[in-house]
Amino acid sequence: MNKATASGAIFRAATPYGFLLPALLVTALVILFPVLQTAWFSLHDYTLYDPENARFIGLKNFAAALADEVFWIALLNSAIWVTGIVSLQLLLGLGAALLLNQSFWWRGLARALVIIPWALPSVIIGLMWTWIYDFNLGVLNDILLRIGLISAPHAWLAQPSTALACIMLALVWQGFPFFTVTILAGLQTVPAELYEAAEIDGASSWRQFVHVTLPSIAGIVATAVLLRIIWVANSLDVILVMTGGGPGYATHTLPLYAFLRAYTGMEFGYAASLSLMLTAILLGIVWLYVRRQAGELER
Amino acid sequence: MERRTFMKLAGAAALSFEAARPAIAQGKTTVRWWYHYDNPQNTPASLVTKFEAENPDIKIQAEPIPWGGGTDYINRIFSGLVAGNQPDCAMVRLSYLSRFGQMKALEPLDGFLANWKGRGDIADDVWKINRSPDGKQYYMPLHYVVIYLYYRQDLLQQAGLQPPKTFDDFLTAAKALTKDGVYGYGMRGGAGCHDNWGPFVLGGGASFDKGGMVADKALAANRWFVDLAVKHKVVPPSAPTDAFRQIVDAFKAGRTGMAIHHIGSAAEVVGALGDKVSAVPVPRGPDGGGWTYFGDESNAIFAGSKNKEAAFRWISFLSSAENNAEQAKLSGQLPITISDAKNWTVHPKRFVEASDASLPIARPLPDHVKTPDFVGRVLPTNLQRALTGGMNPDDLMKAVEQTFHG
Repeated sequence: MNKATASGAIFRAATPYGFLLPALLVTALVILFPVLQTAWFSLHDYTLYDPENARFIGLKNFAAALADEVFWIALLNSAIWVTGIVSLQLLLGLGAALLLNQSFWWRGLARALVIIPWALPSVIIGLMWTWIYDFNLGVLNDILLRIGLISAPHAWLAQPSTALACIMLALVWQGFPFFTVTILAGLQTVPAELYEAAEIDGASSWRQFVHVTLPSIAGIVATAVLLRIIWVANSLDVILVMTGGGPGYATHTLPLYAFLRAYTGMEFGYAASLSLMLTAILLGIVWLYVRRQAGELER
Repeated sequence: MERRTFMKLAGAAALSFEAARPAIAQGKTTVRWWYHYDNPQNTPASLVTKFEAENPDIKIQAEPIPWGGGTDYINRIFSGLVAGNQPDCAMVRLSYLSRFGQMKALEPLDGFLANWKGRGDIADDVWKINRSPDGKQYYMPLHYVVIYLYYRQDLLQQAGLQPPKTFDDFLTAAKALTKDGVYGYGMRGGAGCHDNWGPFVLGGGASFDKGGMVADKALAANRWFVDLAVKHKVVPPSAPTDAFRQIVDAFKAGRTGMAIHHIGSAAEVVGALGDKVSAVPVPRGPDGGGWTYFGDESNAIFAGSKNKEAAFRWISFLSSAENNAEQAKLSGQLPITISDAKNWTVHPKRFVEASDASLPIARPLPDHVKTPDFVGRVLPTNLQRALTGGMNPDDLMKAVEQTFHG
């Protein structure tokens, strides 16, 4: 009897791992293995067209990256890229969510329309905005000329002073619906009684927003911001389509630089070291976030 | 049926399917061929049908691979080679010959070519250009283009100018045409900029030999080219990132008076501008030297192929008279066979003549493992920095020199 109970306990204890095993195996195959392979490449002088002569060089790729001017340019651009895009998407998404949480007769249609930029493929977004900014035929120059804000067309994507900001604007437009939808879902979970109580206490709309709305959606916003930081930091498709990283290094971000070194130079070892450094930075951000969340849970 | 019996039958059926596959395909060799055309809607289906009718023992599996500025296409090939999943044969360019050579990835064609009747229908010069430094022939020439200068006949006539033959003529014409929102020259500073940079810098005296990019003459030629944008402002401000689509569209829209490209864009340029547009070879440098890009396209057989004989029959079919003309129509380029070139009427005559007249100064890019990196990264980023004032033009030349010679 005791034996049967013991085997039953083992079975019960093992069952969750059994259910998790397929997912863990797939994750190990499609994520863990490539990550380990990337780490292995990063310690080698490995070029794709010369695999037979790949040799172990320790941390030399990392040292070379730290001494590479373009690495630092790309890192700074990445910081501007992530900070600018995520904060603007958050502001725009929050504003749109608050508007869409109001009651008006075409609210359903508005909620459907706002998701369109998020639903479009990045390559389409890139091409669309490239033509909006086009020097000769772009609609942006046309509008600005017609309303007299500029006297001659501007080459938005060809000037280092405007190229990065223009691509960031395209990505802000593409990604703000993610915040809108996420925050809107959060807003709908805030109990109406809280607003009623605040109103009875004489709180203005602004104070209701600061003391009721924001604390209620803080957890959702933090999760959405974390996800967006990771996605935006890794995204290179729109840059690749719109400028290819140019003019010069003006729109080089770290993943784009790694991509170019891997796929035009075929220097997989060096590109792997760049990718790993980006991964380490992102893991640092995730760690900070998880620590913060754990602290809140303890409270 | 019991569950156990069902499982047995299902297993047996699966095994018998695998076992039966070679038997079904017995006697028929499948050749996998990777290709790309500028117009992705074009398909080689009719050529495949004709070949398979003539060669009933061979099946052609033609797989279109996205070009992606060349990078996507070639990366697929190298990835396939590393993974051991490459096709039997594929369309390739000379600039990758060195990298293929380093991997020992290609099959020499000399043995096949010795017995191929069509060899004499391709000019000796073309065979010479396509030959590997080790003396072997790995590439089967397929079609080609030569970079030339498009110009607006009407605008030059109004300015009382002839099509430019020298760099000085070119600058004079570019200055004369730059007015009323039109720029004299639609410079390509974005992807593929080597075909605009080369005629003026390599044609002006620079070379890929050691020290050839940092010689006084080379530095002066590069400064002259950058000055077209920085000093003379005869190119659109968008030039630093303008690539194929932008330079062709700006020229078609009448926003530029001259542009440098090849016969592949002739149809759409003529469609927009009709007789107002013509072409001549790119201008010559101060000492009479000239350089223009020979845009080659060939087929090669991979060393790992198990169907080399059948693959050769297919690629030699594509480079044979009549079939080659059909292939060139699909690619929008010029046929490589002498007999097809003689009767070529697909492109307006003036553009074919401009291509022919450019051949004496037409050269491929150097056969070097760093050439793709030079084309895809080193030249565009550094040229763009020079064009936007972020870099001394001489440093661009030093970067190119360093790429090839360390």
